[in-house]
Amino acid sequence: MAGFVPPGTTLLGNEATSEAAKKIDEVHKKADYLNLPCPIPYEELHREALMSLKPEYFEGMRFDFTKGLNQKFSLSHSVMMGPMEIPSQSSEAIKIPTAHYEFGANFIDHKTMLIGRVLTDGRVNARVKCDLTDDLALKANAQLTNEPHMSHVILNFDYKGKDYRSQLQLGNGALFGASYIQSVTPHMSLGAEVFWAGQHRKSGVGYAGRYETDKMVAAGQVASTGLMALSYVQKVSEKVSLATDFMYNYLSKDVTASVGYDYALRQARLRGKIDSNGCTSAFLEERLNMGLNFVLSAELDHKKKDYKFGFGLTVG
Amino acid sequence: MASQSRRGGISLPERRGRGSSKQEPNILAKINNSQIVSKGKQAACDAVFVAKKLLKSTGKAAWIAGTSFLILAVPLIIEMDREQQLNELELQQQSLLGAPPVGPPPPK
Repeated sequence: MAGFVPPGTTLLGNEATSEAAKKIDEVHKKADYLNLPCPIPYEELHREALMSLKPEYFEGMRFDFTKGLNQKFSLSHSVMMGPMEIPSQSSEAIKIPTAHYEFGANFIDHKTMLIGRVLTDGRVNARVKCDLTDDLALKANAQLTNEPHMSHVILNFDYKGKDYRSQLQLGNGALFGASYIQSVTPHMSLGAEVFWAGQHRKSGVGYAGRYETDKMVAAGQVASTGLMALSYVQKVSEKVSLATDFMYNYLSKDVTASVGYDYALRQARLRGKIDSNGCTSAFLEERLNMGLNFVLSAELDHKKKDYKFGFGLTVG
Repeated sequence: MASQSRRGGISLPERRGRGSSKQEPNILAKINNSQIVSKGKQAACDAVFVAKKLLKSTGKAAWIAGTSFLILAVPLIIEMDREQQLNELELQQQSLLGAPPVGPPPPK
């Protein structure tokens, strides 16, 4: 997995996984209930399944270029061209051609991470992750758009204990949330969350559980919003993992299930899945050279007769 | 008037019918009206309809399966093949590079 990581997004996650895996291995031998490993954050419960089943599918062409100015600072440029889907009432998708340029600046230190993105259509996105102390971390995410009511700011305070993690979330629109996850046995962790969105007058409670060994990961989550999500990942070998997930919303009676594979080869990473809506997708990242990746994305929706293909190049 | 009589093509079978109206239509009608024939016709129609539908649906299923296979399996096969080639190449290189230290160096 570590051999082929999409730029920027999952680097930290992978480190955390290997760290957690190491800790689990250590504890596994003793099964000492006073020294349980630290669980993964509540919002990343389905991390492995999401990584295998939900890559960033895109349509059209994209070109990403990242240039490091020095060890900590880098600039990124990306161009995206292709049809963009417009939400509509009819079953047929309506698409209009669009083109974007995105400029970004990243500052990554071992304690702080600052990421900024500007798009030509006026969207600005900023992310901050900062370790205030060894255990307490601050994460902030802000998005500004020229469309009304689409801008948002979210602040997260993460506290990492010896065998638990807790998070406090504050956002605009009077959004408050808190979550807590605790390791119960060396393999099992259980968590709960509460949230209150003042603007939409909504509140909810959620519970989650996760069981992981070095061969498989199973996670389940229910929330009072009606959502139930289950996921299961089986690591067949070092390179191959199979994943499946199931989503059910008992308020809107939406059910989706999908099965997928994830092959991490030396020169390429290939992810494919098929889901219960009759949608087949595949995502191929191929390393052509050092720092030069070629990306192919395909999505076939037989029911809607919507076919999306994309290719891209990532440099740096 | 003459054209009318000439046009009276309709009246021709009538005339013929008048001649042998006792046997031919009877047999035809018998055959036509018999239950077996009508049932057979119905069955044939149904069979054709079902076959058409079956062919159509299998065609559609084959199309979906084929395109899904093209998306999911073909890249996988190609990548696995490439990986294997790479492994073989590396093995070859290793054996080429690894051979000299094992064997005695060529005398000069």
